[in-house]
Amino acid sequence: MRTKYFRAALAALALASAGAAAAAAPSAASLLERVDANEVYASISYEGEMVIEYQGKRYVKTFAASAKGSANSYVEFTNPEDRGTKYLKKEGRLYVYSPDAEEVMLISGHLLKESMMGSDLSYEDTIDNETLSARYVPTLAGEEEAGGRRAWVLDLAAKRRTESYPRQKLWIDAETGDLLRYELYALSGAKLKEYRLIKAEPIGDRRFPVEGEMRDLLRKGSRTVFKMRKVVLDAPIPDSLFSMKSLER
Amino acid sequence: MEGRMEGTGGLGALATIAYRNIWRNGRRTALCVVAVAIAVFFNIFMQSWIDGMMDSIEEVVRTFETGHVNVVSSGFEAEREYCPVQYPIAEGRSADELADEIEALPGVRAALPRITAYATLFDSTVKHALLWGVRPARELAINHWNLTDRDDGLVAGRFPGEGANECAIGAALARKTGLGIGDKLPLKTVSAQFSDKYWSPTIVGVFEFDYARYDEGVILVSFERLGRILGLGGATQQLFVYAEEAGRSAELRDEVARLLGPGHVVREWADNYWVAVMRQSSFLYVIVFAVFQVVASFLIVNTVLMVIHERIKEIGMMGALGMTRREIVLVFFFEALILSVIGALAGCLLGGLVTKVGSLFPIDTEVFTGGGMKDLPFSGTIFIAFSPANIARGFAFGVAVSAACTILPSLKSAFVEPVEALRR
Repeated sequence: MRTKYFRAALAALALASAGAAAAAAPSAASLLERVDANEVYASISYEGEMVIEYQGKRYVKTFAASAKGSANSYVEFTNPEDRGTKYLKKEGRLYVYSPDAEEVMLISGHLLKESMMGSDLSYEDTIDNETLSARYVPTLAGEEEAGGRRAWVLDLAAKRRTESYPRQKLWIDAETGDLLRYELYALSGAKLKEYRLIKAEPIGDRRFPVEGEMRDLLRKGSRTVFKMRKVVLDAPIPDSLFSMKSLER
Repeated sequence: MEGRMEGTGGLGALATIAYRNIWRNGRRTALCVVAVAIAVFFNIFMQSWIDGMMDSIEEVVRTFETGHVNVVSSGFEAEREYCPVQYPIAEGRSADELADEIEALPGVRAALPRITAYATLFDSTVKHALLWGVRPARELAINHWNLTDRDDGLVAGRFPGEGANECAIGAALARKTGLGIGDKLPLKTVSAQFSDKYWSPTIVGVFEFDYARYDEGVILVSFERLGRILGLGGATQQLFVYAEEAGRSAELRDEVARLLGPGHVVREWADNYWVAVMRQSSFLYVIVFAVFQVVASFLIVNTVLMVIHERIKEIGMMGALGMTRREIVLVFFFEALILSVIGALAGCLLGGLVTKVGSLFPIDTEVFTGGGMKDLPFSGTIFIAFSPANIARGFAFGVAVSAACTILPSLKSAFVEPVEALRR
């Protein structure tokens, strides 16, 4: 089963958005397809760490995350302050179990735009199910240097008006295909967020982004670094993990 | 006339002449008196209104915003508009320990710990609200939360129990969300460790403090429960210190600041922005009142000038009979002064009556503001302040300004030559 890997924490989505790309001058569509292809896995499980720096303070959050298919993912926070907080993404809906509420709650509507666990990612950033190719029209904007690497620059324009970020700009490593950097823009053209790849490692036949930094530019002086350890790809994960029972357990 | 003036020592006789003169044209006298009375009434009424508004702002500020002395950490102060919870007072020390220490200071009535934090509601109508972590029993022993009815402000149910998974919400918030007692209020807040905290307290009470900001956007919860959820570990974000005498606030502020040491911001209630703005505006009001009084006095000025013109022959005769220029001027000045005094007295009587009645009935501020001043810290209803001092000030101010305005026109009579005047 080919599935899309979800970004970062819950949001391994964000990290896993890098992928192998061709080094030769490619078309915009093929470049974007390569990025998408790198995000497609049968399953993934890993231990993650989010280091959030905001208002002069530093917060470290650890979690265990698993995902299966494009629609199912499960994250359980393990750091003392958040221990017991669990998120379940199931068929495009996001649920949370908090020990303080002692009940499962559906995160929807305006709440999806809120910062996730104080990080620079919103919940909305973590629950996109479709590939970038399905959601955006790419245009090759040129070739630039990004982080000391030669990179293709892609401009993405949203196909739908309802997209959270009507425009994105991607820097794709011309040699390895790593997604070195991306920027997310509002309809007004204002840059809202930017991502920077810190470290990618080969896992199996893929190059995998294991450390990245996200900055929400609306939060002054804020940044979140995601780190992934013990990444296991395409191993069997029982369906029962992605259930309400798991949340309430 | 001269002999009587000499016999009575001068001023008394001149005043008597002036008093008799004012009744020579009753209609004109009535007009002058009414003009001064209206000005004095306006000044007394407006001053009482402003005092009522200031009393309301100061009481709201002391009750909800600062206490008599407010204590926060420097970190909190720097980010105050976000109500951050990651900067507790005297980090590592419990709220109770701190409160006990401050309450041991002489002149301190109570030191109340409070926590405020923003919450995102699951409700799609009202998306955000302010969590207000307090200890209702202790708070209500010190303050009335409803400043109009001077009671706890509870309109249904009860306040949340200590540490309980409960909340009370404002009546306006309840109306907007359609929630009531027994309903859950799911929300998300952010802890001191910057973690998302989901919480679903049960609504056990609905309150109306007659303070729009709280009635529309505050969720009252147990201090203990909120502190636990936000990971404050028994510490507090703010301390509201109440003095035995509000007048000792500045002194108390210094003592509390000494006790807590650096890293804290300790302020007295009078330092509050709105209180300071209102107090600084007082000078402007005096100018406005003075202008109004001067305009009203123009009627007296006009009367004096007309009287001098009408009685030009009379003035000549007074001079021919031996009255000095000073005495003639004084007659006209006294005439204007008596008009001012009668007008001011009438204005004071009316002003006193209206402000006394107004002080008994609350006035809905929304009628005047159209609900557009909800961010200002004042109660939804205000009481006009009835103050004998305001009335006395209104009288003195009215007489002084009106009399001062008539000095110059009265002097005109001094330059009338008797022979010239008698020839007309």
